[in-house]
Amino acid sequence: MSWNEFIYFAIGSLLFWISGTILIYTSKGARLGNILILSGIVLFGSFIVGLWIGKGHPPLRTMGETRLWYSFFISIVGFVTYLHWKYKWIMGYSVVVAGVFVFVNLLKPEIHTTNLMPALQSVWFVPHVTVYILSYALLGAATIASFIAIKELKKGEYGLMPLIDNLVYIGLGFLMMGMLMGALWAKEAWGDFWSWDPKEVWAFITAGAYLVYIHARILKFRLNLLLWLLPLAFVLLMITWIGVNYLPAAQGSIHVY
Amino acid sequence: MVGKSERKRKIAVEEVIIISAVLIAGLALQFFSGPFDKRFLAYPVNLVFLGLLALVFFMKKGAALSRMASGTLSVILLAAVTIAALWMGLVPGNMVKVSWPFVLLYLMLLVNLTAITALRLKSFSAKQIPFILNHVGLLVLLFSAGPGSADKSRFFMTVMEGSTEWRGEPSGTGKDAQVVELPLAIELVNFSMEEYPPKLGVVDKTTGEAMPLGKPHFFEGTLNAESQIARWEFRVDSIVDRPRYAPAAYVLATEIETGTVNEGWVTCGNYFQHFKILDLTENLCVAMTFPEPKSYTSNVKVYTPDGQVKAAEIEVNSPMTVGNWKIYQFSYDTQKGKDSEYSVFELVYDPWVIPLYIGFIMMLFGAITLFWKGGKK
Ligand code: HEM
Repeated sequence: MSWNEFIYFAIGSLLFWISGTILIYTSKGARLGNILILSGIVLFGSFIVGLWIGKGHPPLRTMGETRLWYSFFISIVGFVTYLHWKYKWIMGYSVVVAGVFVFVNLLKPEIHTTNLMPALQSVWFVPHVTVYILSYALLGAATIASFIAIKELKKGEYGLMPLIDNLVYIGLGFLMMGMLMGALWAKEAWGDFWSWDPKEVWAFITAGAYLVYIHARILKFRLNLLLWLLPLAFVLLMITWIGVNYLPAAQGSIHVY
Repeated sequence: MVGKSERKRKIAVEEVIIISAVLIAGLALQFFSGPFDKRFLAYPVNLVFLGLLALVFFMKKGAALSRMASGTLSVILLAAVTIAALWMGLVPGNMVKVSWPFVLLYLMLLVNLTAITALRLKSFSAKQIPFILNHVGLLVLLFSAGPGSADKSRFFMTVMEGSTEWRGEPSGTGKDAQVVELPLAIELVNFSMEEYPPKLGVVDKTTGEAMPLGKPHFFEGTLNAESQIARWEFRVDSIVDRPRYAPAAYVLATEIETGTVNEGWVTCGNYFQHFKILDLTENLCVAMTFPEPKSYTSNVKVYTPDGQVKAAEIEVNSPMTVGNWKIYQFSYDTQKGKDSEYSVFELVYDPWVIPLYIGFIMMLFGAITLFWKGGKK
């Protein structure tokens, strides 16, 4: 399978996801809705598997390929969170974000296959990238929840805080794993665990912002200020993922994606 | 309740003032004595420092220790380090990581983290294992990667095939680097390299741009490969890949509308042989890109002063470990590629590498503990 078939899988999955999400909002169709959403996830996942087989290596090299995983993970995160916590909006939001990334891939593919340079041929490559993308998906969900929580706070409601904290804990867990595995890999490839490469600097900033959040939460800082840290941290995360290459301080980074 | 949060706020303000004072002192030091020179921390200074930090563990539980272990202090320090990193990430050409304020911030973080773990260890229970994994792991890591890294040194060594070398050039010292004798000798038994197949594309000879413009397409120069670019269909009819010579492909180009066939050898050329293109029109031609390296491997024997001999294959991503040394495949004669007669290694000496790995493993498990903390409803 190749990128040429992407459009069929993408549109198919989106149709499953959208109709499934509409159905879970109706009282009668919730069951069918779940099945449809799951089918969308399986369909999307099978494209990734097919692409993996077609290429003979995991599709994790280009920006377009990491976006593919982001759409996949955010739909899973949204679905699992919705099943566990019964917040329907999180499913809706996940479908919208997955859709945005699908359309970016359709319109601006950035999928040119490149040969894998020797430094990238490592057992750490796949876990390092997937774990990071997974954490981005979780922290993205936490960000949306934080906007709703900021609104609810004005009415004196705190109902979303456990969900937000859990998403941040799990997201940070994956983020830390991604960083640690990246450092172990760097040691094998270049002899330094950490060299303050621009991508590393921004990964550090992102982790720092989320660490401030969880520690300030433990110390019960005031929520009306603290909750704004989550959207801010997510902006930093987006810079780490997508923006770094455009920064003047980042010319000559060793990171290609 | 009001009294308590009032007190908390007062303490936080005090902490901000103390940190600011230290940072201003750092700026003054920076101004008068220039950037921080890490070599100052090299053995034995870092061990003395370690001893001083260890004293924190023997402090009695009391006002002093709990002030050092303050949680708000942690949050403020974490925020300050994050802001310093933002500076690093936004201002081109900055020297944050070797500046005095940053070094002092790092030091305060180490002291705070040590005090926190000391306090927690005094009332240890199994429930604190996640905390310990994260924070002791980080402490070990920060110490080894900070003060510990002053003991680290790196060298480049170029070894000819079939010969043995023990002299290295310290890295990062520039052109006037002094060659030094190292306690390791490397014999390069054989250097070998694998390449990806070269790629073929249609190029405008006047501009050097590949077709289609803005969205260039290349196809692999392998036997029977087929592709279509612009008005032509291409097929690779045969491939030659001999030692010393550059890879060459015999390409058939059919103009789709007219059916006209253009054919000929195309090669990217190398140090030994000229490149060759196949003309399609006055401006457009078929050209081959240089093959990209897939892997390169040095077969070596390493000799140590105590008479040990260790044989290994060194590759990118697969260095060789000899005691506190790690030997990395760094480069080769890129002009000659596959035919390179030498290999360049980077040798890294780091006596703190074992604590570093311990810190990493603790933190990896620590990160996993965040999952069940976050899994609760
Ligand atoms: C990789 C980085 C870190 C992670 C993943 C992490 C995670 C955590 C977690 C999960 C807790 C609460 C868990 C428990 O009490 O068992 C915690 C508490 C704490 N952390 Fe961290 N932390 C990190 C770095 C730091 C740093 C750098 C500092 C200090 C500068 C720090 C200071 C503290 C303090 C003081 C507490 C206790 C708060 C209290 O219980 O009052 N942590 N940390």
